[in-house]
Amino acid sequence: MEINEDLKAAKEIVQSILRAKKIIRMYPANNPIYVKTIEDCFARFSDYFNYREDLVLKIRQNEISWESEQVYASVEKEENLALFFFKDGLREVTFKRGLSSGEMEDFLKIIAMDFERDIVDDDIVTLLWERDFQNIQYIADDAMLADEDTYQDRTLEEIEERSNDPDNIMKAYQDAFSEQDISSEASIAPLSDADLQQLMQMLDHEGSGKTEKLVDLLFELPYLSETRADFEELTVFFTSASEFVMQSGDLVIMNSILSRLSGLIGEPHIDDEIKKYFRRVISYAGGSTIIKLLGEILDSGQEIEDKVVEEYVRYLDKSAIPPLMNVLGELESIHARKIVIDALIFLGPKDITSLAKGLNDARWFVVRNIIYIFRKIADKRAVEFLLKTVRHTDIRVRKEVIRALGELGGGGVFQTLRECLEDQEPQIRSAALRALGTVASEAAKRIILDKISDKAFKDVDFDEKKEYFEVLSKWKDKDVFAFLVELLKKKPFLFGSAKMEEIRACSAYSLGLLGNKDAMPILTKFKGDASKLVREFSYTAIKRLEHGQ
Amino acid sequence: MDSKQERELHKNAKELINQISVVLRTSQIHDANNVALASSINRLVAMINAMVSQENILVLELRGEFFYINEYRIRYSLEYLLNFDFMVREFKKRELGNVTFKGQIRADDIKAFIKAFNDASFSQEPFNTIHDEMTNVRNIDVGILKKVVEDDALDVRKMVKKTYFNAVSFTQGVINKIKSGEKVNIKKAKRVVESMVDQILEEEQMLLGMTAIKDYDEYTYHHSVNVSILAIALGQRLGMSRRMLTELGMVSLFHDIGKMDIPNDILNKPSNFNDDEWNIIRKHPVWGLRAILKLKRFDDLTIKSAIVAFEHHMNFDLSGYPKIRRGIKLDLLSRIVSLADQYDAMTSARVYSRIPLSPDKALSIMMERAGTQLDPLLFKFFTNMVGVYPIGTLVMLDSRELGLVCESNQLFPNRPRVMIIVNDAGTRTKGTVIDLTEKNDKDLYIRSIRKTLDPNKYNINLAEYLL
Repeated sequence: MEINEDLKAAKEIVQSILRAKKIIRMYPANNPIYVKTIEDCFARFSDYFNYREDLVLKIRQNEISWESEQVYASVEKEENLALFFFKDGLREVTFKRGLSSGEMEDFLKIIAMDFERDIVDDDIVTLLWERDFQNIQYIADDAMLADEDTYQDRTLEEIEERSNDPDNIMKAYQDAFSEQDISSEASIAPLSDADLQQLMQMLDHEGSGKTEKLVDLLFELPYLSETRADFEELTVFFTSASEFVMQSGDLVIMNSILSRLSGLIGEPHIDDEIKKYFRRVISYAGGSTIIKLLGEILDSGQEIEDKVVEEYVRYLDKSAIPPLMNVLGELESIHARKIVIDALIFLGPKDITSLAKGLNDARWFVVRNIIYIFRKIADKRAVEFLLKTVRHTDIRVRKEVIRALGELGGGGVFQTLRECLEDQEPQIRSAALRALGTVASEAAKRIILDKISDKAFKDVDFDEKKEYFEVLSKWKDKDVFAFLVELLKKKPFLFGSAKMEEIRACSAYSLGLLGNKDAMPILTKFKGDASKLVREFSYTAIKRLEHGQ
Repeated sequence: MDSKQERELHKNAKELINQISVVLRTSQIHDANNVALASSINRLVAMINAMVSQENILVLELRGEFFYINEYRIRYSLEYLLNFDFMVREFKKRELGNVTFKGQIRADDIKAFIKAFNDASFSQEPFNTIHDEMTNVRNIDVGILKKVVEDDALDVRKMVKKTYFNAVSFTQGVINKIKSGEKVNIKKAKRVVESMVDQILEEEQMLLGMTAIKDYDEYTYHHSVNVSILAIALGQRLGMSRRMLTELGMVSLFHDIGKMDIPNDILNKPSNFNDDEWNIIRKHPVWGLRAILKLKRFDDLTIKSAIVAFEHHMNFDLSGYPKIRRGIKLDLLSRIVSLADQYDAMTSARVYSRIPLSPDKALSIMMERAGTQLDPLLFKFFTNMVGVYPIGTLVMLDSRELGLVCESNQLFPNRPRVMIIVNDAGTRTKGTVIDLTEKNDKDLYIRSIRKTLDPNKYNINLAEYLL
């Protein structure tokens, strides 16, 4: 390869590095564009190394050169590859033949990092150093590390001024003959295999348990703190530690922090003023930052025992309800949502009003979850909030709230349920009917009986009719029995007889469901009815009664 | 080294060096026909041939204290530490610098090498013996150990000095920044420590030599850097990875950060502290923990640094300060820093303790503390690192020469390298460095240490010799 061709190849490599730096930031590693960029870049290196041992790039502020020839130049402040390397002190990068695709990709990943973000504690030189590439070497200028340019010279000058007094040295020499022999009292014990074994165990454990240790030390600080400012600061440490352990997914340590803080709050000899600081930390643990992190833990798929989450929730107060509801809408996994729902079921009774605010959430599934939580809490105070949700735009929410109203019951729900029985949506009518069945009160029964007795009922769809009778059968009393027998006996008018026969058939069906064997004679009688539908339903009801189903 | 292929290569290389060591050791006990030796040789042959078939050639080279295989530096591995040390010692003894394996090796080739290697230990010119005996073995070449060229050594010394003073200057800057409420650049701190780690790995003795100079005015900053260097060096002996060494260096650099809150009139008090003043001094670990936690957001490094700042005076048996309510086990990093801290403090002239101890005296006091204040196992490694006569020790030799220990010898701890400052004629001299492992024709040591003296008693400025 001629020198000009080499120069061209070096330029192309720099351009492909620049391109790859952008692409890596934009695409995930499995994206075809990413893969192709890496392949192209490596192909350029491979072509170059067919003819050369290494590629040495010298870096200046706005220029990269190869064998004194400029291969890149830019005066931009952003997106300037030369400046990007230069500002961290990189002055030369050498790629050696033998460079593997993996090494090259790792190098590109390093330079593609967003170093402007605070969270990155390393500069490019540190990352290259840590990666310890076998085939990528670099030279970095460390002069920028000194805080004072002239420190070394100044210090050395000062030392020189104190140069040795020859007399002192000669005195030492003479004394060495007169003083008694003193050899070092220290001795070197040879290292044994047992020492090495012990050391290996030590190193194996190094790195683990540091957070727990720090937490232990933080819990020493209350006893080593003196001023209000010390305690203020300690509060910040605890909140930061809480954030850190949650970021690390360590809910067990979080629980330990909360448990120990609760213990301190319970200590009679600790001043109430100081306890306020500890309460603040506990409150923070149920705040939006920590709860958001909890959501991330739960959604990460990390295995976590239910009892650990339950313990954490036990330490929280009602202020955790809003952030928990917020995170509920963001969670992706069903299991995670179940855990948060359980947490809200636990915390909800502490502040029903806060929980009710979740009913206004824009996300239908959150509203449905909140209604479910109210159902599980089973606090009748929730009814007033739920009633406002009955007209929700999403039918799934409406069904859930009607169900909840049925479970919670109380006088306030009947009017709404009655109205729902007239709803245009069959699913809502069905939900309201079943809710009335769940209420199971006389008033509820009356609503159903009135509805069936209404003239218009005969025009109701057969399946819906059947559902009414099914629900009615939940009241296993004489009134219902008599009502049903009466209906079964009713002679159909000529006009509209088919609709009436449906009602009679449903009555037979409901008698079967009631389980009262007193209905056997009448059912047996109508087993031979002229209407095929009545015959069939009477027969089925008899069988049901015979088999006690 | 992250890729699977590289990790594999590194693992194979470590095992290869270990196997050579096993073969050489076994050959010193058994004759060539022994079954155990034959089996070890066969295993070694298989390992070499496998690597040669992959790489075409296999060059094992000793540079400084490290082995390289085909230019890859093989890091110390704790599991093979003793065998690695054995190899370094035996290669150096024979001035053997490298062994090159070319083509497929046979067991007989290895047997020839073993014979040459063992014969050399009785020779006056050990390398030549090996070289001559190996002339007929086509597939194995040997090379002599390269001496460090004087100019190179000067350049290296310059770099070491620069690293050291950069670190001190940076530390001073950090403290000033924290005091004035400015943000501290952790990225820079890491770079500073990485440079020190590199120097410890490459030029351990020179950088350790820098810590022996105690004539600086700004004790606090130099002390932080010295502790960092001593801790990294010890960590290296313990087999820590580069990343771990960086962490260790970082936590050590900030271990005394709590002292910046001690009022200057106490810190700079030229006489002994009274009880009240001691009470304030004893608070610096707690202040240190607080300062670090305020410095930046919580992460692994912050946590480790805070723990070390808190624990470094607690002592191995928790007899130190601060006193705490719960029984805890001191962190490994804290135990390392505690050792380095005590050693550097004892051998330094601090404001409140004007009279420093000589390095060997400090070591003997520390020996008494091993098991109570200090971790006995780590202390064992520490003494193996600094030697019986640490750098900076003033020694009188049986040759009537006065010298300063300028380099310890990890293989022969009582035979360091010494810079002669007064020759046997009683004349001041500077610069001649002699190795106490040197022997005469009768295989006797030419010089030995007869006694140690306290350099502080004579106001000897080590900087003049060691810088």
